[in-house]
Amino acid sequence: MNDEGFHSCNVICGGAYPELQQDPSQKTGLLQSRIKFEPLKTHEISEGHVQFRKVSVPPHRYTPLKKAWLELYTPIYEQMKIDISMNLKALKVELKTKADTPDMSSLQKCADFVHSFMLGFDVIDAVTLLRMAELYVYSFEIKDVKTLRGKHLCRAIGRLSGKGGKTKFAIENATKTRIVIADTKIHILGSISNNRVAMDSLCSLILGSPAGKVYSKHRADRARIAERVKPECPIENVVL
Amino acid sequence: MAKKEVGSVEALNKLKQTDPPLFLTPSTELSQTARKASQYLFSSLKPFCPKVYFQSLYLDGYVAEQIWQQIDLQCKPLVKKLKGEVIEFEKNPDEVLRLFGVEKKKGRGVEIEDGDEDIEDVGSDENEEEGEDEEDEEEEEGEDEEEEEGGGEGGVEDRFLKLNELEQYMEEDEAREYGGEVVKSKVSKKKKNVHEEEEEEEEDEEDEDDEDEDDELGDFGDDGEDGDDKLGNARYEDFFGGKKKKSVKRQSNIHNKPEDEEQEDDKGDHKQTKESLSTHEKELQKLHSKIEQMEKANLDPKAWTMQGEVTATKRPKNSALEVDLDFEHNVRPLPVITEEVTASLEDLIKERILEGRFDDAERAASLPSKRLKELKEMDENKSKKGLAEIYEEEYVHQTGLGTAPLSSSDQLKKEAQLLFDKLCLKLDGLSHSHFRPKPVIEDMSIQTNVPALAMEEIAPVAVSDVAMLAPEEVFAGKGDIKEEAELTQEERKRRRANKKRKYKVEASKRLVNKVQGNRLPDNSNGTKA
Repeated sequence: MNDEGFHSCNVICGGAYPELQQDPSQKTGLLQSRIKFEPLKTHEISEGHVQFRKVSVPPHRYTPLKKAWLELYTPIYEQMKIDISMNLKALKVELKTKADTPDMSSLQKCADFVHSFMLGFDVIDAVTLLRMAELYVYSFEIKDVKTLRGKHLCRAIGRLSGKGGKTKFAIENATKTRIVIADTKIHILGSISNNRVAMDSLCSLILGSPAGKVYSKHRADRARIAERVKPECPIENVVL
Repeated sequence: MAKKEVGSVEALNKLKQTDPPLFLTPSTELSQTARKASQYLFSSLKPFCPKVYFQSLYLDGYVAEQIWQQIDLQCKPLVKKLKGEVIEFEKNPDEVLRLFGVEKKKGRGVEIEDGDEDIEDVGSDENEEEGEDEEDEEEEEGEDEEEEEGGGEGGVEDRFLKLNELEQYMEEDEAREYGGEVVKSKVSKKKKNVHEEEEEEEEDEEDEDDEDEDDELGDFGDDGEDGDDKLGNARYEDFFGGKKKKSVKRQSNIHNKPEDEEQEDDKGDHKQTKESLSTHEKELQKLHSKIEQMEKANLDPKAWTMQGEVTATKRPKNSALEVDLDFEHNVRPLPVITEEVTASLEDLIKERILEGRFDDAERAASLPSKRLKELKEMDENKSKKGLAEIYEEEYVHQTGLGTAPLSSSDQLKKEAQLLFDKLCLKLDGLSHSHFRPKPVIEDMSIQTNVPALAMEEIAPVAVSDVAMLAPEEVFAGKGDIKEEAELTQEERKRRRANKKRKYKVEASKRLVNKVQGNRLPDNSNGTKA
């Protein structure tokens, strides 16, 4: 035990103790005897235990969940290799790792995916969470921005969405995000910077600026950024 | 002699009658008469002169200057003497009366005196140019006389000069100047007694002269002593006297009011101007007056123009109009348009027209065009692509794996190009003399295997998709194809048997599915279909 401990000590702090440095011939022997580790599987990380996630289903998303169940199920089960099931009594979606789950983070991603669906995003939009790593959902309430009551609140919500939802769509297209306005709660799905831009626009709308102003500000900012970053290349290739 | 006299008198009269401007023009006749007259006067004045240099006025061969010098030599002392007499008469008007009272005795003297006075007038006319400088010279001469009379150091006092008398005279003079009492002492009376005893006029005059001269010298009783050194040690006081007098005056002035001072100064100046006023003194006077003026101006409140900020209430009415005000004009002064200006402008215009050189504004050349930035309008429709697809495309574009999707501008361009081609085709068709078929626009589209009838209903007459479809696409079959009518009995049977076989297989499959369908499939967890 002492010898092993001694050797292991040597391996850890190689050059720190010159007295302990071995001769090169002996060093090679050490290298050969060094244990090789392979990356752990998710299953083994938790030492054989199975990991769970539970996502509660709000009542208004129950029927849409039923309709879109297979669309949810297919990518999770087949690509992420995670078991997914619905607990009807508790109205929760349960996620469980399997033995052959490749990645540790996949469980969390799936949970986020399902959660975003519950918030109100479409499946095709929510699927982006599975595919891209850096996407986040940013949630805030109207009262965080400005205290509004009664008709003012209703008007603010109306301003946010616009006629037929056109303002919301415009912001979505411009910032490459997806927005869900659920009464007083607002959820934004996208990358961090895009989220911020969308949030700024929405906040200005809540505070009372008209939609046209928000659009023009958008355009100006975009032009400025594009000019700064790539003055020669045209913007046409950038997709809204 | 009498004739000569008469002739001379005539000459005199003639001179008197001539206009003064005529004297300026040179005329020999006038000069002859003048010479005659002056000769006569000279000889007539001779007995009265204290000093006689010439017996008569020498005219022959002498220039006007020389004649003038002779006259001058005679007249100067005479004039002095006469002046002294006048002063004496001024002081003692009784003398005059007494003189005239003794008219009977000295009628001739009086006549002579009158004549003298006349002569004096003429002489004064002739001697107009005698300036105050000559008075100074007189003083000098007076001094010289006094010196001759004074004698040595100890001999200040004389038969003529007595210090007591001198002092008395001084007091009298001061009193006269300052408007005080005239102190008549015994001395003056004694003086008069002396005059009565001796020849009055001459001695009076001489004494007067002496006293005058003494008076002029003022407190310098010891001036005689200084004078002994004569011109070698000449001083300011010798020439201009009165220095201590002035200081005395000043001391007394301090006690008096300024008005009095001015009066006294005036008196003093007046007194001084009478006798001696050199250029230097004149300059000093001017300076002093200037200084006084300036001091006065400084003490007075300033004029409104010098007061800094002045409102309308603080200055007299309409005073701003009279003063030249200088202030900044924000407007450029308008050009004065004269005929010359217009003429020059017109010339310029003509020139330019002939040349054809008009200063037209040239349009600036536009810069090498940058790629126009597309201003994409905010798309207010729900995006058809999902978020994932958007990011996917972006990623693809960034990494350069796939081609960038057509932007809206490109699509628009394509559409425009297509329309234009069609238009051109039609227009060209108008000009073709022979028939030319339409060009084939290669366009990928899916052809559905729909019966020709349906297609023909929709498509234009000239085109039907049936023609487009290949025969294999219309019908794909293998082997020998026969219609039902062409079949033999055996072939019919064979076909029926095949049909039955296929039907049986399908039926059995269906049955199996039905049975299995009741069970839950393995995949579905908990959801009931």
